[in-house]
Amino acid sequence: MGRVICSFCGCLCDDIEVGVQDGRIVSVRNACALGRVRFLEWDRDRLRHPTVLRGGEYVQVPLSEAIDRAAEIVSSARRLLVYGLSSTENDAHREAYRLAELVGGVVDNTSSVCHGPSILAVQQSGIPVVSLAEVRNRADLVIYWGANPVAAHPRHIQRFVRAEGAFVRDRELWVVDVRRSETARVADRFVRVQPGSDLEVLSALRAIVNGHTLDVSSVGGLAMSELSELAERMQSAQYGVIFFGLGLTQTGGRHHNVDAAIRLVQDLNSHARWGLLPMRGHYNVTGANDTSTWQTGYPFAVDFARGYPRYQPGEYSAVDMLVNRECDAVVNVAADPAAHFPREAVRHLGRIPVVNIDPKKNMTSLVASVNIPAAVAGVECDGIAVRMDGLPLYLKKAVDPPPDVLPDREVLAEIYVKVAEELGR
Amino acid sequence: MTRSMVLKDCCLYDPVNGVAGEHVDICIRDGRVVEREAGQTEVIDVGGRLVMPGGVDIHSHIMGSKLVHARAMCPEDQRLHTQAMTGTTRSGTGHTLPNSFAIGYRYSVMGYTTVVEPAVPPVRALGCWDEFRDVPNIDSALLAMLSNSTITMHYVEQGDISGLAGYIAWTLRVAGTFGVKVVNPGGVYAWAHGENVTRLDSPVPDWDVTPREILRSMCMAVGELNLPHPLHVHPINLGRVGNVETTIATLDALKGISTRTRGGSAAHLAHMSFECLSSVEGGGTEWRDIASGGTVFARYMNRNRHFTVDLGQVTFGPVTTLTGDGPFEAELFRTVHTKWSNLPVDSELPGGGGVVPLRFSPKSLTHSVQWATPLEFALSIDDIWRCVLTTDSPNGGPFTKYPLVISWLMSRRQREAWLDAVHEKTSRRTALASIDREWSLYDVAVATRAAPAKILGVSKWKGHLGPGADADVAVYDLRPEEVDLAHNPTLVLRALSRTYLTIKGGEVVAREGRAIKSVGGRLWTCHVELDSELAGRVESEMEEEFIPRWYAHAPENYAVPDRYRTGIERAVHREAMDIRP
Repeated sequence: MGRVICSFCGCLCDDIEVGVQDGRIVSVRNACALGRVRFLEWDRDRLRHPTVLRGGEYVQVPLSEAIDRAAEIVSSARRLLVYGLSSTENDAHREAYRLAELVGGVVDNTSSVCHGPSILAVQQSGIPVVSLAEVRNRADLVIYWGANPVAAHPRHIQRFVRAEGAFVRDRELWVVDVRRSETARVADRFVRVQPGSDLEVLSALRAIVNGHTLDVSSVGGLAMSELSELAERMQSAQYGVIFFGLGLTQTGGRHHNVDAAIRLVQDLNSHARWGLLPMRGHYNVTGANDTSTWQTGYPFAVDFARGYPRYQPGEYSAVDMLVNRECDAVVNVAADPAAHFPREAVRHLGRIPVVNIDPKKNMTSLVASVNIPAAVAGVECDGIAVRMDGLPLYLKKAVDPPPDVLPDREVLAEIYVKVAEELGR
Repeated sequence: MTRSMVLKDCCLYDPVNGVAGEHVDICIRDGRVVEREAGQTEVIDVGGRLVMPGGVDIHSHIMGSKLVHARAMCPEDQRLHTQAMTGTTRSGTGHTLPNSFAIGYRYSVMGYTTVVEPAVPPVRALGCWDEFRDVPNIDSALLAMLSNSTITMHYVEQGDISGLAGYIAWTLRVAGTFGVKVVNPGGVYAWAHGENVTRLDSPVPDWDVTPREILRSMCMAVGELNLPHPLHVHPINLGRVGNVETTIATLDALKGISTRTRGGSAAHLAHMSFECLSSVEGGGTEWRDIASGGTVFARYMNRNRHFTVDLGQVTFGPVTTLTGDGPFEAELFRTVHTKWSNLPVDSELPGGGGVVPLRFSPKSLTHSVQWATPLEFALSIDDIWRCVLTTDSPNGGPFTKYPLVISWLMSRRQREAWLDAVHEKTSRRTALASIDREWSLYDVAVATRAAPAKILGVSKWKGHLGPGADADVAVYDLRPEEVDLAHNPTLVLRALSRTYLTIKGGEVVAREGRAIKSVGGRLWTCHVELDSELAGRVESEMEEEFIPRWYAHAPENYAVPDRYRTGIERAVHREAMDIRP
């Protein structure tokens, strides 16, 4: 199969050639190391059967029984949390919101633990973004700030930055980070900032761009002379872009860092064309924000307790719901909170019933009360995912899922029907 | 299974069929209006209430990535106007930017059943097809933004109208779009260089083309393709004092371009309120010099018949400006300093569109004049069949303000009350206070149903209630003979805000001001059959040259797959076999 879309990271590379023989994937071309694993090892570490926890042991059950048990957990919950979604396709999101709405629960996606702060910054300031094709066609100055694409988005540089551009000849690549990352080693310029000083550095650059003089000799480990030179170069760019990562969103300052970057870029637009873009990790976390926004009005952390959507990151976000022991049941879809959440949050996961829907075994499958295997979206079922710059792409199905294994959307829809029956709706 | 219904004793306003307030019965079978209905039939006696065809909105931003972005950017807007879920309807939020479900329900509660999304970058049309599944109770169509596409620039520069027409037909087919939208032609492209265009003959960077050439070429291509809807135009210089001159020059540039079947209409000018500003005598282009260009433009319209218009009426209160016109939004941001997003879309919107939240205040002279301009225009034109009522939702205000707009048009008394409340100098900058005219219910039915359906090119099925029409019906809780609406603007507001019954495709979807059902809508598309040599040429240029060169994804992954169209797409077919390859 040609032109298959890789459902691993937010780049959604769509030039993958997948060789299929006898219903199995036997070869992959054009993918990065991460993408190769996504395809070639699609069948490894799978949850093979629905299981329910009984007397401390996981017992294999028919799918219908697992669905019944899941529906029982959902309908008897007083405050349900539905979480995950960023590694599955848009139709699964749809079913998740519908289920949360039905029982007056909370639904959150993984952006609350990655680029949630970026969204808060956008709500404060807006954001001039870029599209990846336009970056490739036009950008002459590309900065990765607190992001390490060589490790996390391995083809980002090759496809969009070091590729030939239609309307640009020379292009410079800078990396701003607290350490000399793998990406810094392939950059034209590496700017090392002191840990925790991104906000100061961004604000200083903005002050210089706006013609202010700062009465200090250095900021965040950078001499004023270097900062001035950076600012001058940024103003003289034709088309500049900052790709920012979790180095901005998940360090001290969080949304303030991103806000400072946005305001810097907004002001730079009085001198040159500039944009920025968050380096989204999970392949459809952008889609999760989009579907949540058009269906509930809000991009993440949505509560339906009153029958209509309300939004409160810090309260309805998954980690906070767990740490505050506010939810009494969880439906986890295509994510692994037990592996990635803070210990206190994971402890509460251990206390309450968890319905885990995922193709693979993971940490959450070891604490769940019910495990329901799902098809791998983009490999075993189709759907839509959204690239980090907002481009929706149609994920293809390359091979059939294992017998009796359904896409997330169908599992969730079956649970919905059962719950609606139980609640008499 | 045959499902049928008779609406008894309708006081019908159906301008397409020349009906103005006659009492008739309307028969419906299988989602269509039929001549008569015999046998087992549900009969609803509407008791002489006002009945109109389902409303048709030709320009309202209801879907797409920029709307999704704007909602996510403005939770302060989302908090307002919440609606809890019911057994048959989903929950809703949002004032100027409602979520998808609320958009459908609120339109159906007002009696609207067709709403066009006018600004879609085709490469992202898949997102609209996905989103539309969550917009209940209305049919829709997507207009493709192509006036700043790198590919358009290529064909225009080459003077290759056939190629451009082929590109448009290709786009309509693969992206499932219905018509073509122009947004600040050349200006949005120039914005990729941090620039804009201000004159029809300004140069566009990277290419040897001008806004005039882009407009004329696109208009010719759309004409040759014989598309149902003419070129939908958002001109250059939007939102600038004195821009009525540019707008008239733009329309002059399109005069005489031949169109095959649309009665000579070459273009539809969108949201005229933002592009028909004039200045005081001897004034310049500063905001303080603003004056209404409504009368000037109405005079032009009365003398020139080659275009149609929608109002984009400005209303007071919070709005969200969101357009494909990125440089305009950037300029607005520098004026109002609220928040600003800029959203480029691959090579189709190189500089990008934008979003800036705003509040129109009656205390502001600028805003008051902007409010008066489209009213002055609408009350000065001869032919309401060429005029559609819109607010360019959410730019001039949310679509839920249509009843208020209608009350201004129908009632001089209402206008006087509002003129008293707006900036005191407004009457010196507009002629609104001196206008006596009051739109009738018939006029309203024209501008909200008949005209938009006709301009859109779907008047066989929409905008009227003759046999064969889609059974989209709005019943309002108002008996027109019993009231003098011009003297009761409050009654206009109340009656038109909430229908007594809204019927979509033969099903009652709203009753007494509440949506009671969620029915999936249909998306209109247009398929044009071309000479196979031209189709083949453009396809290979697109797939082998342009997409690989200018986009960052594969041509095979551009099209909206059947999986998302099945059961939703409603295609209009056209033939344009005689366009030379």
